[in-house]
Amino acid sequence: MNDTIIRTENLHKTYTTGKVKTHALRGVDLEIPRGSFSCIVGPSGHGKSTLMHLVGGLDRPTAGRVFIGGEEITGLSGRRLAALRARRIGFVFQFFNLLPGLSAEENVATAMMFAGVPEKVQRDRSRELLALVGLSDKLRAKPSELSGGQQQRVAIVRALANDPDILLMDEPTGNLDSESESEVLAAVAKLHGEGKTVVIVTHNGEIARRAERVIRVKDGIIVEGY
Amino acid sequence: MNIPKLVVKNLTRRKGRFVFTLLGITIGIASFVTLLSLGGGLKKEIRKQAAELGANLVVTPKGWCAYEQVSVLTGEQLPEGIPFSVVGKIAAIKGLTAVPYLTERTAYKNNPVSVIGILPEEMKRFKNWEMEQGKYFATQDEKALVIGSGIAGQFELKPGDELTVKGERFPIRGILKETGGKDDIAVYMPLSVTQKLYEVGSNVSFIAIKVDDIARIDAYILKIQEAANVAVVSDKQLLKSVLAIVGTVSMTLQLIAAVAILAAAFGIINTMMTAVSERKREIGILQAIGAPRGTIFSLFLLESGFYGLLGGIFGVVGGLLFSLFASPYISQNEFTTLIKGGDAAGALDLRIIFGSMLFSVAVSLVSGLYPAWKAARMTPVEAISYE
Repeated sequence: MNDTIIRTENLHKTYTTGKVKTHALRGVDLEIPRGSFSCIVGPSGHGKSTLMHLVGGLDRPTAGRVFIGGEEITGLSGRRLAALRARRIGFVFQFFNLLPGLSAEENVATAMMFAGVPEKVQRDRSRELLALVGLSDKLRAKPSELSGGQQQRVAIVRALANDPDILLMDEPTGNLDSESESEVLAAVAKLHGEGKTVVIVTHNGEIARRAERVIRVKDGIIVEGY
Repeated sequence: MNIPKLVVKNLTRRKGRFVFTLLGITIGIASFVTLLSLGGGLKKEIRKQAAELGANLVVTPKGWCAYEQVSVLTGEQLPEGIPFSVVGKIAAIKGLTAVPYLTERTAYKNNPVSVIGILPEEMKRFKNWEMEQGKYFATQDEKALVIGSGIAGQFELKPGDELTVKGERFPIRGILKETGGKDDIAVYMPLSVTQKLYEVGSNVSFIAIKVDDIARIDAYILKIQEAANVAVVSDKQLLKSVLAIVGTVSMTLQLIAAVAILAAAFGIINTMMTAVSERKREIGILQAIGAPRGTIFSLFLLESGFYGLLGGIFGVVGGLLFSLFASPYISQNEFTTLIKGGDAAGALDLRIIFGSMLFSVAVSLVSGLYPAWKAARMTPVEAISYE
């Protein structure tokens, strides 16, 4: 049990739009070991992103339970879920990950602000982290002045700013050319090497091939890899 | 990064919108401050004028309404008069001094000028007037003028000059020492000369009365009313009715300013609602990186409050500057001729300054409540999925 960092029990999610009910997840049991590199794959609209949102505490299940590091998060208050997202989970999304009004450095620092990091430390650490992904010369650049690959690298750095256990990525390369994609994948590989638990939702076969575990979702249930 | 820095960064991102919204609240607060300080100055000045009247009681023709009581202070022409015989009856009552006024009006170089008919000796004692230049009236019915220092300054007049009043030329005997009040902006003429010139028979406009024992003022009022069929108001009542009129006028003007502020508040709501819907995605990102709902709420509320703070500061400064600039012009108006120079803006009141700023911030915060609530109640997934 100790080496399982993410666990779900009979997870259900139903969206109701007017009178129409959509069952996005229909009983998902999942275990992801600490330090692993997993991919969630499957057709569009079959519940991959929903699963990621529930695991990351961005949304609440209709039924079932989610555990992070052995602690059940399903019933946590909004404030405690926010704290969990600030400190233990890092998110990277496909599009528009960054706050457009802020520079690269400020984007990273903002994540640390929510974890209660003092400003001086925010500044030093965001510079250090951006240097690690080769963006020392882009500290003051706004997202609109960065390439797609650079933006995603800033997003990854921001996700890591509070040294979370888990990195959740939703199609992180979906929007990138192949060169940028390899930049991002190299960064991911490095993180995994450092012992982070990485979960990527993707359509990209190349990423799936690199992953240790592939979880296939179809029609709201896991059909392979649990 | 800290919350205030984030707030300012968000606000200044859309510079045009920021400036226009800010202008709205600034103009609202500025007009509010202008009217408050002009109104306050006006009331202060009226109190001063009333004190300078030097009277405890004012006797007016029966049936006067408040507007006509105002005329006593503004020196306007009065529709009816009191027969001069009444002055004698009242003066005969023990323990009081009574001086009659006949207020008329003439024009000099196309400017309205108050002409006041007085009993020279009585008036000089009553007011403790002193001379700046020239001489005071030699006799009670001398065909000459004594003028206030303000009039002398305004038209560059000196003793020996002549002034035409109602088509007749009168020599100027002397100029009064500055009193700082309405006495400075009038032309004085012996009562009998004025009555003849304006063809009012033996009438006077009103009678100012000073009593020896202020504690028995009610008894004096009764005695005067027994002696003659006239209305008597005390200076306090007079002041009260004038201030009531001024109060109503400034209240109305302040209401108009309040409407301007209300419109500005809707401007802020509009701007903030637009910001919330434009930044849905950002709200999702903020939530994903750990911002609790309370923080999202305060981010937007503070943005809104910031409009109020800046608008309050600019509005107060602008309003005070404007009232300084505008008050001399406003003072030229008929109703406010009693205000000399730019004194109306003299009311640099700390209560107005801080009160208006607080008001501005409060209005903006209230305007921000609904947009901030809209932003905070968004679920992270709803916000992130928005494209």
